[in-house]
Amino acid sequence: MIRAAFEPSIVGFLCNWCSYAGADLAGTSRLSYPTNLRVIRVMCSGRVDPELMLEPFLRGADGVMVLGCHPADCHYLSGNYQAEQRVHCVWMVLEHLGIDKGRLCLDWVSAAEGARFAELVAEFVSQVKRIGPAGHEESREELSRQDFIWRVRVGMRVTGTEKFRWLVGRQKALLDDKNVYEEQLSGERLRDLMRTVIAEESIRAAIELLTEAGPMSVKDMAEALKLPARTVLEHTAYLKRYGFVELHDILGRTPRYVSPRYTQAKDEI
Amino acid sequence: MVQAEKGSGRKTVGAVLVIGGGIGGMQAALDLADSGFFVYMAEKKSAIGGVMAQLDKTFPTNDCSMCIMAPKLVECGRHLNIEVITNSEVASVKGSAGDFTVRLVRRPRYVDQEKCTGCGVCALHCPVGAARDQFNADLGCRPSIYIEYPQAVPLAYIIDRETCVGCGLCETLCLAQAVKYDDEAWEREIEVGAIIVATGFDAYDPSERKEYGYGRFPNVVTSMEFERILSASGPYEGRVLRPSDGDIPRKIAFIQCVGSRDRAIGNGYCSSVCCMYATKEAVIAKEHAPGVETTVFFMDMRSYGKGFEAYIERARHEYGVRFVRTRVGEVVEALDTGNLILSYETEGGAIEKEEFDLVVLSVGLRPPTDGARLAESLAIALDTHGFLETRSLDPLATTRPGIFVCGAMQGPKDIPETVTQASGVASSTGAILEGARGSLTRRKIYPEEKDIRGIGPKIGVFVCHCGINIGGVVDVPSVVEYAKTLPNVVYAEENLYTCSQDTQKRIQEKIEEHGLTRVVVASCTPRTHEPLFQETCREAGLNYYLFQMANIRDQCSWVHMRKPIEATEKAKDLVKAACAKAALLEPLERIPIEVKQSALVIGGGLAGMTTALDIANQGFRVHLVETAPELGGHLRRLHFTLCGDDIQTYLGDLARRVMSHPSIDVYLGSQMTDVTGYVGNFKSRIIECNKTNGEVNSEIGSEIEQGVEVEIEHGVVVVATGAKEYAPSDGKFLYHRHPAVVTQSEFEEALASGGFPTFIERQDQDGPIVMIQCVGSRDEERGYCSRVCCSEAVKNAIRLKRMDPKRDVFILYRDVRTYGTREIYFEEARDLGVVFIRYPDDEVPIVCSSIVGNPETRCEGNVGKNYDPGPVTVEVTDTLLGEKLAIPAALIVLSTGIVPDERNKAIAQMLKVPLDENGFFLEAHMKLRPVDFATEGVFVAGLAHSPKTIDETIAQAHAAAGRACTILAAGTIMADGIKSEVTKTKCAGCGLCVEVCQYSAVELDDKDNIAVVNTALCKGCGLCAATCRCGAITLKGFTEEEILAEVDALIC
Amino acid sequence: MLDSISAKAPENWEPKIVAFLCNWCSYAGADLAGTGRIQYPPNVRVIRVPCSGRVDPLMILKCLTRGADGVLVSGCHPGDCHYIAGNYLARRKFALLDELLDFFGIEKGRVHFSWVSAAEGEKFADVVKQVTETVKAQGKPCLGQICGDERG
Repeated sequence: MIRAAFEPSIVGFLCNWCSYAGADLAGTSRLSYPTNLRVIRVMCSGRVDPELMLEPFLRGADGVMVLGCHPADCHYLSGNYQAEQRVHCVWMVLEHLGIDKGRLCLDWVSAAEGARFAELVAEFVSQVKRIGPAGHEESREELSRQDFIWRVRVGMRVTGTEKFRWLVGRQKALLDDKNVYEEQLSGERLRDLMRTVIAEESIRAAIELLTEAGPMSVKDMAEALKLPARTVLEHTAYLKRYGFVELHDILGRTPRYVSPRYTQAKDEI
Repeated sequence: MVQAEKGSGRKTVGAVLVIGGGIGGMQAALDLADSGFFVYMAEKKSAIGGVMAQLDKTFPTNDCSMCIMAPKLVECGRHLNIEVITNSEVASVKGSAGDFTVRLVRRPRYVDQEKCTGCGVCALHCPVGAARDQFNADLGCRPSIYIEYPQAVPLAYIIDRETCVGCGLCETLCLAQAVKYDDEAWEREIEVGAIIVATGFDAYDPSERKEYGYGRFPNVVTSMEFERILSASGPYEGRVLRPSDGDIPRKIAFIQCVGSRDRAIGNGYCSSVCCMYATKEAVIAKEHAPGVETTVFFMDMRSYGKGFEAYIERARHEYGVRFVRTRVGEVVEALDTGNLILSYETEGGAIEKEEFDLVVLSVGLRPPTDGARLAESLAIALDTHGFLETRSLDPLATTRPGIFVCGAMQGPKDIPETVTQASGVASSTGAILEGARGSLTRRKIYPEEKDIRGIGPKIGVFVCHCGINIGGVVDVPSVVEYAKTLPNVVYAEENLYTCSQDTQKRIQEKIEEHGLTRVVVASCTPRTHEPLFQETCREAGLNYYLFQMANIRDQCSWVHMRKPIEATEKAKDLVKAACAKAALLEPLERIPIEVKQSALVIGGGLAGMTTALDIANQGFRVHLVETAPELGGHLRRLHFTLCGDDIQTYLGDLARRVMSHPSIDVYLGSQMTDVTGYVGNFKSRIIECNKTNGEVNSEIGSEIEQGVEVEIEHGVVVVATGAKEYAPSDGKFLYHRHPAVVTQSEFEEALASGGFPTFIERQDQDGPIVMIQCVGSRDEERGYCSRVCCSEAVKNAIRLKRMDPKRDVFILYRDVRTYGTREIYFEEARDLGVVFIRYPDDEVPIVCSSIVGNPETRCEGNVGKNYDPGPVTVEVTDTLLGEKLAIPAALIVLSTGIVPDERNKAIAQMLKVPLDENGFFLEAHMKLRPVDFATEGVFVAGLAHSPKTIDETIAQAHAAAGRACTILAAGTIMADGIKSEVTKTKCAGCGLCVEVCQYSAVELDDKDNIAVVNTALCKGCGLCAATCRCGAITLKGFTEEEILAEVDALIC
Repeated sequence: MLDSISAKAPENWEPKIVAFLCNWCSYAGADLAGTGRIQYPPNVRVIRVPCSGRVDPLMILKCLTRGADGVLVSGCHPGDCHYIAGNYLARRKFALLDELLDFFGIEKGRVHFSWVSAAEGEKFADVVKQVTETVKAQGKPCLGQICGDERG
């Protein structure tokens, strides 16, 4: 059975001042923990861009850990808070895309918590094991490798959009302080807006990705994305207005659209 | 505040509040502002433009709605005497006519209107994208910071506070620092002398008509949504796609009367415009998506307006639009395909089912949702439908003096009717505020003209996409690139709409930035848009005449739609020619011309009298010329209106007021024989010939020659010559061959005098009365609909039924055209038991008479003048039963149409104004200049323009007066700078130019014997220049060099 | 007198025709053809003049010598002239020009006159079609090349 033999590969982003030191302490203390984790040292957990949280999945990772300092301990004052905001938003993206959000973990490890580090790694490895290999039909998501990669790519485009990044960036300030109208926004309202942005940008990203591969009709895209054609049409029209897709041809009664990137690529060939 | 005192000591404020910034509000505002009143325009939305801004094209000319409206939008936006107050509503009104105090409440925009450049960066980045775009009829999304539409006036964004989360991004991004989160609602009190309500209408929401599936089936859309689908600036950029899957539909169905003529939902009236707009959409859909089949499902085809019938015929025969007479029962969605299956009953009674890809619901016009609230704050009454209450003999006045109404808030109507009413209210308002004219207005001060001498031509070229009108055929970017290579061109760019307000600003910026000394715009026709761009240049300090246009739409992209390569080449040539001419242009001077402050009104019928009174009440002298020995015209034959007003009392009163008005000179039994001059300075000869035996020769005959000839001077002319009632000749319908066959107006005459016994001698005394519609209308000879006959028949039928309930009344019709709220009377007639029988278009009912003492029956066509007429019958094919009926009648009433007066031709030639193909006067523009002629200073009103009802005639007469007063009130007008000029050293004094000049503008100087041009008289035709033997005389603005430069550019 | 001076034109040759349209009738008629989307050949290049009377016969000849393959002058219908009688006078001159053309050896079909009102979009399109066909049938004139050198 695959499940039994499955050893997930995990990428961990560890902040230099707390978590990385914690990992070192685990070593000096000779604490053993699963071998699945591959550590990338960053100066602050706040350095980890939402796109970076997803990128490892494209390259074969089954789980991603982001570990930073405990609240208030951040060497850079509030980098860890930013990281927290981001991970929360990336979780929403993963949820929207049908990827188990358990594949992305955020936690705090101080320089003195070698044992905690070892525990957290062990826990996360077994958690990812339970979820199953990324992009495998027998995983909890039941997604094929191709499908999984496709979703991650959509997710990366979403996390790269201005709207998403602006909201992630503003989220904390908006919740801590009042908004421009001197009103206190509820967390729920912001989350609703974030969900809407993610939903819309995912569709647009998906349309772009599809049309980069070749001409597609609205109906074909709707089928591929399992979305109502009406919704796809609305977003295709939006993308066309701003030049992200172009009308390619009309087959019978059905217009087909293509990304200018596809056209460019073809021209170069 | 400056104010004028009236005799009574009460003050009159020289300002007006116009509520609503749609096409009606804009026209009223422009007319008022141009005739000396300051206008506040309160608009509920963030931009003016109203529904017309949302339309793609307009019927019956298929003009691009935005293109014809944009100049007015821009003019309103930058008129010195119009203050547009957006986002505002009226809270309360105090005072009375002449002196109202209005409290306006303005909702915050959160964007500084003055600072916002309309660049749109904020909207592009706004994270909130989920609000529905109302301008696109909810077919797309718009962000929280948005603009009503791309050409909006004012061109400033607004934040939708409902959806905005206040993240602050737009403020960060806005380079103009226009975002103003602390903006607050404010209240403002303004003083005005009068108020004009021009709030327009709301479209009916068809969700409640469950059987059509709107809201449930994505491919069922409203006509407004479809209009946006057709529009280049719409959600699909003008491509006809169906919302369910983005496919191009093969078959589109239009379902008429959704929310109209439907008593069940409380909208019993007809919305007046749907038959035409649906046909227009069906035609445009075929243009946008070749091969698509369009079908219109209708109950009665109500193409009653000027040029409408011909439009329907063209749609049917040239475009192949299919028309099916039925009321669609139900729409259901087909499984999987999203197609829709319509079930309907044919005229023959069979139930049909037919599948379509897309269904368009022709939704009706409703009073605006906040109409009742507004009426309450203005303390004016609504009618039973929720429109403002008006009287048919005073159609523009509300129930409160000093408050007027125009447009769809008065009842459903189309654009020309709205524009007509708008000019009409401007006149009514002007009449009550006469004493305060000019007291609050400001004059425009232009920057000093730049001295361009010695700089040499530096040309800037602006090429317009006109949405997809040009850009869809002509490769605009390549034209721009090409322009950059032309000699003297230092700058070139492309615009989505060069006529929009932001582009005007841009042009001015570019003039500064690049030191442009000439501007070339390549877009539509100079006939409509040249003044706008000239104004833009002048505001930037360039002389008006340093501007040149290349017509790459009307005469290029539109006429070479299937030849994009050749069209692009042609566009380049046209731009090249415009630049070649532009390089040679010189600054020209506009000379002020004094306006003779009096008007000549030709025709003393309802229209003529109303116009004359209005102009006189606005303080100008009026000469009213009537050929008949008494005033009244066609109106003398009518006795009551549909709603029961007594016409003769009204007429008598009107005529008395005209005759006794100190500023009106009435010339009865007189004719205009000649008119010369031009706007502001006309001279007419009138031959007065009456007071003899009352018989007046309609031709210029011997009798008139004996009359007294007078010459009058006047600044404007209003043509109100009326029309005639059609009289069947050669025994058609046995008219004038049988005593029991009369026309509708003869019948009305009889009804008014209490009975009709003389007609029905020898007839079955209790037999039915049969009315035959479309006599002399919509036939091969006269293709147009006479508009009034259906309502007239209904009116007289109701009257008759009330007098004699037991008598049967049959109305034989083709389409019942009781449009607007007249529909209620059609319903009433049916409730009273009047029977409506539809006959086929190609089977006109036949009238037959038996002959006394002879078993033979004679039908029309084979009856001579001399026979002894017995009882009559009408033979008609009933389309509903599919049978031929013979109805014995006590009386046959012919609803005869309205035909133009044959004297129109002579008047048209004298005034140099055109007639349409039917012989009615042809206005300057069917949609937006309904009472103007292309010739300045000449206007039209009443039946001379086209058949119309009494209230419409009154409105149009007011409108003609309103338009005329914009000229009279100005006092001086600026004459065009295009004049002839003589080079003295070249002139040989041969006098050829003197001979050819039709205006006596050129004469030979006594001393030097060389030609001299009188610039006040010169009209700028150039005849002298083309005649001169030695090239001594030229036409400025069209010199030989300039023309030949164009020729060279065009053919090399 | 010169012989007819047309030369054989290549198959895909498209003539260039200059049209002088009066502002008030014919130019408006041409606009109406546009609003009515009536399609016509793209060979005509329009020059707007206030009145057909502004066009003098020499101007027409100059068009031909500068390389135009045909010239069309269109004004208001008789009696409709915005400038009272500009079109009458124009026609009188053009009638004379017609005879002169014969003398020059320029085929009559190169120069056309018509009356198109502001309401005759369709007629304008027909006139353009007919003029284009006539000029096309006559082929490219050599006049342009012969006289081309004389241009300034």
